Amino acid sequence: MFFDLNLPIPSKLGPVSKKGKEKQAAPAFSPAEIDALETKIDLLVHLGYTVIAFTQTVYKKVDSKTHVNVLDAVLGQLKSRPGIVYLKRLNIILDEDSEKGFGLINANIPLCNGYDLISLVPTTHATLSLACLTHTLPSPLTAHIISLPLTLPRFPYHLKHTLIRTALKNGAVFEINYVGALGGENDPLLVDANAAENGPSAKRNWWASAREVVRVTKGKGVIVSSGVVSEADFRAPRDIGNLLTILGLPQNAAHDASTRIPKSLVIRAETRKTYRAVLSEPELIVPPNVLAQLETSLPMGVDPSTSVPMKRSREEGAKESTPSGTGAERSKKKKKKGNKE
Amino acid sequence: MVRFKNRWLLAEFIPIDSNSSKSTTSKPTPSGRPLDGKIIWSALRQSVLDNFGDVGWGAVAPSLTIKYFSSATSVAIIRVSREHHKIAWAALTMLLSINGVRYIPNLVHLSGTIRHAQLAAIEHNRVVIARYRALAKTPAGYQDSYDSFLEKSTLEIEGLQD
Repeated sequence: MFFDLNLPIPSKLGPVSKKGKEKQAAPAFSPAEIDALETKIDLLVHLGYTVIAFTQTVYKKVDSKTHVNVLDAVLGQLKSRPGIVYLKRLNIILDEDSEKGFGLINANIPLCNGYDLISLVPTTHATLSLACLTHTLPSPLTAHIISLPLTLPRFPYHLKHTLIRTALKNGAVFEINYVGALGGENDPLLVDANAAENGPSAKRNWWASAREVVRVTKGKGVIVSSGVVSEADFRAPRDIGNLLTILGLPQNAAHDASTRIPKSLVIRAETRKTYRAVLSEPELIVPPNVLAQLETSLPMGVDPSTSVPMKRSREEGAKESTPSGTGAERSKKKKKKGNKE
Repeated sequence: MVRFKNRWLLAEFIPIDSNSSKSTTSKPTPSGRPLDGKIIWSALRQSVLDNFGDVGWGAVAPSLTIKYFSSATSVAIIRVSREHHKIAWAALTMLLSINGVRYIPNLVHLSGTIRHAQLAAIEHNRVVIARYRALAKTPAGYQDSYDSFLEKSTLEIEGLQD
């Protein structure tokens, strides 16, 4: 199964008026635009992709008052295809103004939960270190994908190995958009925000920067996605794997970049909904009559040292079986720690 | 053994109509001059020159041949030497348009012998015909012109020699 985690949806929101801070109504997509989207998806399915993520791009910051999730509207209007998975992704472009804060704060958690994946596009060195160090730590606001602007002339910052390594250890991945390799059109919002360029030099910059990314990450946490706006720039996943081999990535890593690594990324992104990326342990739920039997049988010659720890964990399981949610996981974790000490 | 080894690429060209937004995977509509083996060869040559320069073209040129091309299904069998097949493959991927019409090159199969390329081509034809038939919703057992096309193309493909 091949993953394409970046299919940009053109942002339809008009200029935000400074005075009116009300939420704009969800923009409706005209049938022609839905048709165009359907043909793109047809093409992707024909080329062999099975998981597609739609991207909504926001510039500078996510403002909960004015932000509208356009992807819900779009997904509702697309026809369902068996065997194809649609995901929603929020892409935030960071620049110098975003250094103070760009909306990935606890107050915006309900907004972020509307998306399956969050990604950042850092354009300065400070935002890159911010993205790599703080925003990859597990939390409901983790940005799992760091998408580097590859078509800018002279890569805006030096990729420091320690930063990249921390981000990879925390579970983030670096994304390469292959639209730049073909000299294709980038998302117009990215171009406006100076995070991408269309033009003859864009292709050359892409090859230089992508090679650098591959070198620094040593091919470990690299995913490849389309970022394609016009239909004719789509390519089959094995063709893209071949292009990555030319960049210096070994053949198995190039194949992993569109299969294994995005797959584990999507599963890891679901942990945003858990407490600090702890996936819950299975709970043992003991029926009450069995529990009563155990309690009565304990004083009768059963060795207490071996059975007490087991009984305590079973009791915890029984207690925690009713309250559900992250609070229970947290308290159970603490209790288990106390148990082992 | 110092045998000269080759790679056989089975490539499909998907035309993209820039005017209409209709799905082109349902039925290819030929627009402009129909494609030909020679046209594809010169387009591929230009792509190698643009992306890999004279050095790349020198590596690939002696062995680059278009062995078969079917204009009905837009499928080509291309032979390249094994050492430099990645250059030719990448140039194929980065091919944007032929004769002014935009195409998506899609590599269906890559093999080391012509036999497997032939088998893959026959299989690909059958899959494409099955897709057309599913779209047209013809009942099974209905004899249409596709059968004769399949037979004819199978014979052509089997007749290829190294």
